[in-house]
Amino acid sequence: MVAPPVSRTAAPVSRPDKAARPGPLVSATVAILVAATCIPLGYVVWGAVSVGWTRAYELVVRPRVGELLFNTVGLVVVTVPLCVVIGVGVAWLVERTDLPGRAFWRPLFVAPLAIPAFVNSYAWVGVIPSLHGLWAGVLVATLSYFPFIYLPVAATLRRLDPAVEESARALGSDSTGVFFRVVLPQLRLAILGGGLLIGVHLLAEFGAFAMVRFDTFTVAIFQQFQVTFDGAAGSMLAGVLVLLCLVLLVAEALARGRARFSRIGAGAPRAANPIRLGRTTIAAETALIALTVLALGVPGWTIVRWLWIGGTKVWVLDDIATALGQTIGLATVAAVLTTVLAFPVAWVAVRSNGVLARAVEGANYVTSSLPGIVTALALVTVTIHAARPLYQSVALIVFAYVLLFIPRALVNVRAGLAQVPPGLEEASRSLGSSPAATFLRVTLRLTAPAAAAGASLVFVAVATELTATLLLAPTGTNTLSMRFWSLSSELDYAAAAPYALVLVVLAIPVTLVLFRQSTKVAAL
Amino acid sequence: MTTTILEIKGLAKSFNGHTVLHDIDLALQPATMTAVVGSSGCGKTTLLRLIAGFETPDAGTITIDGRQVASPESAVAPHRRAVGYVAQDGALFPHLTVGQNIAYGLRGAARAEVRGRVGELLETVSLDTSYASRRPHQLSGGQQQRVALARALARQPVLMLLDEPFSALDTGLRASTRKAVAGLLTDAGVTTLLVTHDQEEALSISDQVAVMRDGRFTQVGSPQQVYRHPTDRFTAEFLGDCISVSCTVASGVADCALGRIPVQASAADGPATLVLRPEQLVATVVSDSEQLDGVGTVIATEFLGHDVLLTIDPAGDAAPIVVRQHSLNPPPIDAKVRVEVVGSGVVLN
Amino acid sequence: MRRRRWSRIAAAVSVVAVVLGATACSSSSKSDELLIYNAQHESLTKEWIDAFTKETGIKVTYRQGGDTELGNQLIAEGDASPADVFLTENSPAMAAVEKAGLFADLNKDTLDQVPAQYRPATGKWTGVAARSTVFVYNKARLQPDQLPKSMLDLEQPAWRGRWGGAPAKADFQAIVSALLELEGEQATAQWLAGMKAGAKIYNDNIATMKAVNAGEVDGGIIYHYYWFRDQANTKEGSGNTALHYFKNQDPGAFVSLSGGGVLKSSKKQDQAQQFIKFVTGKAGQEVLEKGTSFEYPVASDVPANPALPPLDSLQAPKVDPSTLDAQKVTDLMTKAGLL
Repeated sequence: MVAPPVSRTAAPVSRPDKAARPGPLVSATVAILVAATCIPLGYVVWGAVSVGWTRAYELVVRPRVGELLFNTVGLVVVTVPLCVVIGVGVAWLVERTDLPGRAFWRPLFVAPLAIPAFVNSYAWVGVIPSLHGLWAGVLVATLSYFPFIYLPVAATLRRLDPAVEESARALGSDSTGVFFRVVLPQLRLAILGGGLLIGVHLLAEFGAFAMVRFDTFTVAIFQQFQVTFDGAAGSMLAGVLVLLCLVLLVAEALARGRARFSRIGAGAPRAANPIRLGRTTIAAETALIALTVLALGVPGWTIVRWLWIGGTKVWVLDDIATALGQTIGLATVAAVLTTVLAFPVAWVAVRSNGVLARAVEGANYVTSSLPGIVTALALVTVTIHAARPLYQSVALIVFAYVLLFIPRALVNVRAGLAQVPPGLEEASRSLGSSPAATFLRVTLRLTAPAAAAGASLVFVAVATELTATLLLAPTGTNTLSMRFWSLSSELDYAAAAPYALVLVVLAIPVTLVLFRQSTKVAAL
Repeated sequence: MTTTILEIKGLAKSFNGHTVLHDIDLALQPATMTAVVGSSGCGKTTLLRLIAGFETPDAGTITIDGRQVASPESAVAPHRRAVGYVAQDGALFPHLTVGQNIAYGLRGAARAEVRGRVGELLETVSLDTSYASRRPHQLSGGQQQRVALARALARQPVLMLLDEPFSALDTGLRASTRKAVAGLLTDAGVTTLLVTHDQEEALSISDQVAVMRDGRFTQVGSPQQVYRHPTDRFTAEFLGDCISVSCTVASGVADCALGRIPVQASAADGPATLVLRPEQLVATVVSDSEQLDGVGTVIATEFLGHDVLLTIDPAGDAAPIVVRQHSLNPPPIDAKVRVEVVGSGVVLN
Repeated sequence: MRRRRWSRIAAAVSVVAVVLGATACSSSSKSDELLIYNAQHESLTKEWIDAFTKETGIKVTYRQGGDTELGNQLIAEGDASPADVFLTENSPAMAAVEKAGLFADLNKDTLDQVPAQYRPATGKWTGVAARSTVFVYNKARLQPDQLPKSMLDLEQPAWRGRWGGAPAKADFQAIVSALLELEGEQATAQWLAGMKAGAKIYNDNIATMKAVNAGEVDGGIIYHYYWFRDQANTKEGSGNTALHYFKNQDPGAFVSLSGGGVLKSSKKQDQAQQFIKFVTGKAGQEVLEKGTSFEYPVASDVPANPALPPLDSLQAPKVDPSTLDAQKVTDLMTKAGLL
């Protein structure tokens, strides 16, 4: 979900090197994880190599791939700017103007994150059944993902020093000038980070686009998997998809420049004077109401409508309870495991400086953008050929979840760890606590809130995950997403509605966590 | 003969090829306070961290209470060194109460015993025992510093290390807090090493002062020694204002515009620069009718509240001297004053 | 103190959740349960399973998936596959698994229940149900004299933009495999090219039917039973439509066989054979006659649901189910740009 830029407090000048090298256990764990994250990439490369250049060329350079490329790239190129405009606009209205009802609007626009994109698709198809193609994809994607820009931009706006803008005004800029020349450049990192996150989600999303009959690479790869299971065409398409991801990463890195983290100054700045909207208030309120109706009203109303039409017979409590139990079980295991494993990785990244730290950064950067389907395909291939007992096991799917979502947990654990001054750990050591005891008594306690937030993000991500689950779930496992998907694929929308409802309800607490996190000064 | 609590021999440390400490020697006697004073970046904090165990030396040894704790080959981990360390900002654990902070190092003791000890320690640092249930963020800077001190004292370490403990406090609080802290450490009989950039602090509370410059000690001695008899210009200028006057030395006496002033016996004969402290100069107004040699004219006055700075142009070609004295009835401009020198001066290169 | 207690409680809760989760999701590899890799409609298979368990007491569990997906999975798993029985909606996946040598010979008394035209000669698997290809059309947009005479007509420019299908699904691929078998590679490639140029692509049969119903396209190629199911239900997806049977042994009259087979690697050969025998027996086939699936029974002389036109009246072309080549169809569709 949200991965806003991490803040870093100023490092003390007299200590040029970071803490001592991490212990052997930590290093081993981290090295294994980094190696594991290479599996998806390895699969893609191996697939290309084993198929031979001529065949690979044949499979990649053909009109269908051109179609998919046009669709996927078009989707990203249209959706991301649209999300930026909406996200920044809403954040601006809600944080910087005197719009009535701001306190109510502010948390509301985080709510779309509680609705999985494929549920959103399902809702829109319920309203406009013939919805399909690029514009359908753009519509659903924009409404689902604009909070990824809204959240960090709003948080940044809240922390900007108004003295800068006031100086600009004193120098003759009007409101528009101040916005474009002073405020927007300071929002650059937040926008780029959010934009990258949206791009990554767009490339990885399957359910939402399949439902509106919009063929992106991931949709096509999934189809290939269903048709050929282990085939070359699938891994070739996966290869092109991975290349697209890398392009996205590079583009973001170039646009970002050398700034890696946004700095947060000491202490909270005073709040800026809100801009008076005057006559444009009504237009602004209307726009926000329209956005709410589209992003929240349509899904909400559709689910309610289908539940009404379905009546009590769609509430097959047995199935729903089993699915719920399995989903919660898998999600909890994955969340706990991922967060625990994120600690050594975060430790190496934040506190040490050697080769391992850099490998961790690189590996994390790449895997955070790989679509789940590539990871799932890779794991299926690897286990079938080399680790048969793991195939279709619970261990494998949990492992897949860990690989997919460790970057999300890592963002939070890293931020938390970076907030623990090394001085506290030194004080603890000088008071007689060994390094392990120091970690448990001081570091862990202080990082616990951030780790908990990370764990809850992973929980929701796993509970609403569809693509990898469809490929890797053991026989007898039917999560909420899987049941929702199989029912809505049969166009049994009424029966799918209870599952949609449960999925949304599961995700709500985490959205609250995200919102609270973004309002606290230190937590980002 | 009492054993030294801390003995450092030939200590050296580099970071990234840049040498931060060269050949440091220091010895601390029991129940004394030593101040290492120097400007920011001179290496004094590194020295402290080496003694605490957070860094290992490249050369030299550190011996605490007869036990060698650091050398280039081996080092005892910080949590085994029985050294108390108080960081610049106190470094209190934000997730624990004041009482839990203080009790942090007291593992394995019975709860009642711990509570008693915490109460004792709070009293020692002059904080009411009700503070034990408060959280660090509810305390002022000075109070946090005192809690950090109590926390470090809880384990009854043989050596206390204080890293610029008073620099974060408001100026008004600084003097009273340091007096109180120095007092309680002396009463407790704890050997302390204090690091600071404030020379007044170093001189006022310590038994031994070590002046550091670019990773080396320029002089180590008692406060009076280093202040009155500095061995080099840097030390002299760092520890206080200096008045430099050119003079000619002949067998331990310097002849200059201010008269004949005794200097250190080891001074070489010939032309040199005489260094005096401002408090050694007294300017008294003379009436015009008195003798005119050794008399100068006030050419400028600067009122500082407590003091005035008088710029006096002495007779002859000598450069103007600045004399600081109390501000009651200062001599006006153009008044004739005679400058007298109290005590002996130092001749430095 | 309080925080320590909460963190202990949280830790305990997590451990419990982990244990519960692990046990809830473990694949039920209980030794007494028969495992079906099921590509048939879940509802139909559930009916079969319930009836079978009631009669024999053997417990059954299944893994739901698509024809080709499960078929390919079985081939990849080889003899280490945990599956005992394979049920499909169409024949090409069965043919592929048969070709990989993974099926065990079916018992003679099972095979005797099924007429020869509804099972392959090799006896490695058998048809368990059948469905007919149909052309569903919107009654307001097409009059009976405007309907295509043959499925091959749809590749003509005249039909551009007026019909739809779901090429990504195994159902449609089975129809194309029959086309390949009957008309040859070149004609099939041509037809697929016509489809790429002129047909609207839908996700599956139901989506196609609903689109025809909504008037988005004039007609579509689907299997018959979806229409009958909807008609028996709310008619929401087919109220404006009617079915056109191509007949005349046209490729568009292809009757696809749903297959059932026993895996050679199964450790419960006896129970697996019993299951196939049950499904092709009177009780199993009556599920098709009396139930809501509206698929055609093929064995034990059980007649079709009265709402359906009888199977032999459909004039289906003769196709040996073992010869249907799923791989070739995939290749041709990939070449045509449909996959």
